[in-house]
Amino acid sequence: MKPFTAFASLPGRLLLGSAAALTLLACDPDKDPTPGLQPVVTNSVFVVNEGNFTRSNAEISLFSKATSAVTNKALYASVNGGPLGDIAQSMAVRDSLGYIVVNNSNKLVVVSMAKFKSKATISNLKLPRYFVAASSDKGYVTETVSYSTSSGQVSVIDLKTNTVTKTIAVGKQPEQLAVVGSRLYVTNNGENTVTVINTTTDAVEGTITVGDGPNSVVADRNGRIWVLSSGKIVYNPNPTRLSKGSLSQIVPGQLTATTREMPSDQSSPGNLTINGSLDQLYYTYLGGVYTLGINDATLPTTPLIKRGSFYGLGVDPQDGTIYGGLASFSSSDKVIRFRNTGAAIDSFTVLAGPNGFVFY
Amino acid sequence: MVLQTFLPGRLAAQLVLLGGFGLLAGAAVPATAQAPTDTLQSQQLPAVRVAGLRPTRFAVGSRQLVLDSVALNNYRSGTLADALGARTAIYLKNYGPGQLSSISLRGTSARHTAVLWNGFNINLPSLGEADFALLPVNGTTQVDIQPGPAGATYGNGAVGGTVQLSAAANSPADWGRGWHGTAQGDYGSFGLGAGLVTAGFSNRKVALRTSFNYRRADNDFPFYVGEGRGRVQQRQENAAFRQASFTQDATLRLGQRGELSAAIWLTDADRQIQPGIGTNNTNAEERDQSRRLTAGYRRVSTRHEWAVRTAWFEDVINYRDDVSGLSESRVRTSQAQAEHTWRLAPNASVRLGAEAQYFSAQVDGYGTAPRTENRYSGFVLLRYDPRPRLQLSLNIRQAVLPGRQPPLTPTAGAEWMALAVGRHTLSLKSNASRSYRAPTLNERYWRPGGNPDLLPEESLGYEGGLAHTYKTAGLTLQNELTGYRQLVDNWVQWTPGASYWSPRNLRQVRAQGLEASSTLGWQPGAYRLMARASYAFTSTEKTQGTATDADPVGRQLPFVPRHTVALSTDHAWRGWQLGTTLTYTGHRYTDASATDFLPGYLLLNASVGRTLAVAPAWQLLVLAQGFNLTNNSYQNYQNRALPGRNASLSLRLLWH
Repeated sequence: MKPFTAFASLPGRLLLGSAAALTLLACDPDKDPTPGLQPVVTNSVFVVNEGNFTRSNAEISLFSKATSAVTNKALYASVNGGPLGDIAQSMAVRDSLGYIVVNNSNKLVVVSMAKFKSKATISNLKLPRYFVAASSDKGYVTETVSYSTSSGQVSVIDLKTNTVTKTIAVGKQPEQLAVVGSRLYVTNNGENTVTVINTTTDAVEGTITVGDGPNSVVADRNGRIWVLSSGKIVYNPNPTRLSKGSLSQIVPGQLTATTREMPSDQSSPGNLTINGSLDQLYYTYLGGVYTLGINDATLPTTPLIKRGSFYGLGVDPQDGTIYGGLASFSSSDKVIRFRNTGAAIDSFTVLAGPNGFVFY
Repeated sequence: MVLQTFLPGRLAAQLVLLGGFGLLAGAAVPATAQAPTDTLQSQQLPAVRVAGLRPTRFAVGSRQLVLDSVALNNYRSGTLADALGARTAIYLKNYGPGQLSSISLRGTSARHTAVLWNGFNINLPSLGEADFALLPVNGTTQVDIQPGPAGATYGNGAVGGTVQLSAAANSPADWGRGWHGTAQGDYGSFGLGAGLVTAGFSNRKVALRTSFNYRRADNDFPFYVGEGRGRVQQRQENAAFRQASFTQDATLRLGQRGELSAAIWLTDADRQIQPGIGTNNTNAEERDQSRRLTAGYRRVSTRHEWAVRTAWFEDVINYRDDVSGLSESRVRTSQAQAEHTWRLAPNASVRLGAEAQYFSAQVDGYGTAPRTENRYSGFVLLRYDPRPRLQLSLNIRQAVLPGRQPPLTPTAGAEWMALAVGRHTLSLKSNASRSYRAPTLNERYWRPGGNPDLLPEESLGYEGGLAHTYKTAGLTLQNELTGYRQLVDNWVQWTPGASYWSPRNLRQVRAQGLEASSTLGWQPGAYRLMARASYAFTSTEKTQGTATDADPVGRQLPFVPRHTVALSTDHAWRGWQLGTTLTYTGHRYTDASATDFLPGYLLLNASVGRTLAVAPAWQLLVLAQGFNLTNNSYQNYQNRALPGRNASLSLRLLWH
């Protein structure tokens, strides 16, 4: 009974998508998000394999762009000689370090990107979900805390000592987060809000109302924040959708959002991702992948990629190649690659539940 | 003289019902052989009474394993998970000591095994399976295991096999014993403590048996993570449990032909749920309570046998953890069975019967309103022995389920004693069966995800085997080899959808394999030896699937070992006893692509004991048991720690 209970009570876990780690990188506040970004060169793709709940089989697979092949399916264990932990929810990179959020082990594992050697572990987090670095010294991690409480939290991490220095109460079930300038935007998936935190003082500046169930966030080349929301569904007595999914845009400094509703109520959009030049958005919806430019007037009604209910979605910042992770959680799962035109390139096999991609 | 009394039934772990007249011609013979041996008065012959026909009489051609009270003797204060795990080559997927133990018969899953208690299915209706760690041995006097599909004989879920537990007074040896009793206390590693009390009385009219047992453990055992120099010791957290069980059986003979029986079985377990290695400890805790009541009336004459039985069960599972809070479930099941058997001739009998089940579930996961469901089935069982050496059976059952109809499920079996030369006999056995499994209540009603349109699973299987016996005055050797093959269609699996997991009829699975066993009993004088060896080769693969099924075909299913071996010896000499069990469980894949696996492992257990006569009619047994003697660090299920070397000491007082 327990696994079913767990699955059923944690739909958010299953709904969530990629780490959008690229965005987190690209949002480096030290670098003004102005036109004329430096071209990004990537050689490797780190695939985050979420793993099976309670089986401690989360892993990172390493894919080489040069050979178009997986060079190490279980990178973490082969380098470090032990399992990564239970449920790898996401991974992000800052400087030469990778930060892997291991949800059901309540920890953040810090690895060197060069050798993937474990450098530090920040333990005793409370169901951590996503990580973002605001600078080389400071990072933030969202934590659910509990599915039965009304608020989650964000822990402030000192990246020099790898310790938690402060926790900030936010909304219910905080998910992805993004830093733009001196502000941190936290999506509160259990409600319809984004919490804005000042990264200098770590004080909450305010709360922005967006659509129901915000699940992913990216920042574009103009410094605007895009928030994708899944809409609200209740499962009792029968699955009933109370609101459609939506896409919101926030102008930095403002505590309001412009929200556009998705055309169909048949699906929950997720996995908002942005390309390398930070002007084209991608997300999963209606069993496919949709895309729109940051200046497009309307939401797209036809998909870029028809096939594939992707659990994880990534876009290579260098060449726009799209990576879609298919998750069965029972067999070795697959990642399919597409050109930015939507044409399929090839596929490769990883481990259970590929939920995100880090391009490095 | 419990442990010194040699009975053929002592062979019975892994015992095979041989094709011969001996064991199958009349139910009374095997019943005697399987009688509890803690009495000397059992030697008295009962008054002339016709015994009822056991359901196994209609299971001709099937392999049968029996764990009788002697085989269960060292596990009196333990659970069926302990006894089956040590004594048979059956694989039980185990999440830690005292934690969930689910059986896998012939490569199928736990919900493909029907577990019956006094003829009623006791699988939890919500999950469709039984947790063998919650079934104490003490309430049971005999365990009959019949691998392979037998839906016609045993009803819903008998796809991979059937496990029958019986406690009622169903053999002549249970009558006229007078008063008898047992008390036992156990003390062991990692805070293990257990105690049991059994008392019984029988004369020629009435048989009563009461038992109570309690078991607890802290399970704060050390285990190791990592490899080489990075290997570190950790101590298991949140794995303590306590469980108690009470049984009361009563049988009253009404005249020469009638028999009224009633039984109560209460179990209560309070378990911390052992977190996986490297997994967040959410202080998960589960309370499992089952209350089971049955009553029945049977009237047996030389030509007819009538039986009506009724049962009422209540199964409670309350789960709680720090992250998700409390989830409660309570399912009440009412069942009734009626059957009539005609003994047309000494070599022919027909049984006609029907059963009805009513489920009422109050489960948090199903929503606030209670869910109810009715299921019915009717069956005809035929047994005909055209020649003394040839036995045939043909059984048919049709079940009626809500919404969907399962197919007609027939079973046909034959056994032929091909050879009886000197001390050797050789029998050929074969059996073909269609079986079904109704969707569980969770599969139909869980929100979100429950799929009310789920089809029943169907299976078609057949098996063939050879059974050889060699017998002299002091030596008995039994060998059996069985090959089987089975296809299960509409196999159900929970798979992730766009926003939640849902069970779907995804695929067809083929299970095939070989089972070999040998049992040797040798008694040259005061010394007695019982040795058993069993081996199972199990190949279970997906053969085809629907478009939405991502798992590849032609790979061994996860958590099904290809090879399992169980070796055991029991030595007895002048009040001393020595026992060893050695089991090997081959590697088990952890994913459906059969790429990652948990390595195979050997487990060696041993016991030494001494029975002392302390007074007339009083005996004392001192028993020391050692488990995992080679101190293996191993995993049965992925990232669930298990203890290294550990031990227990038992004192048992017997009175008759």
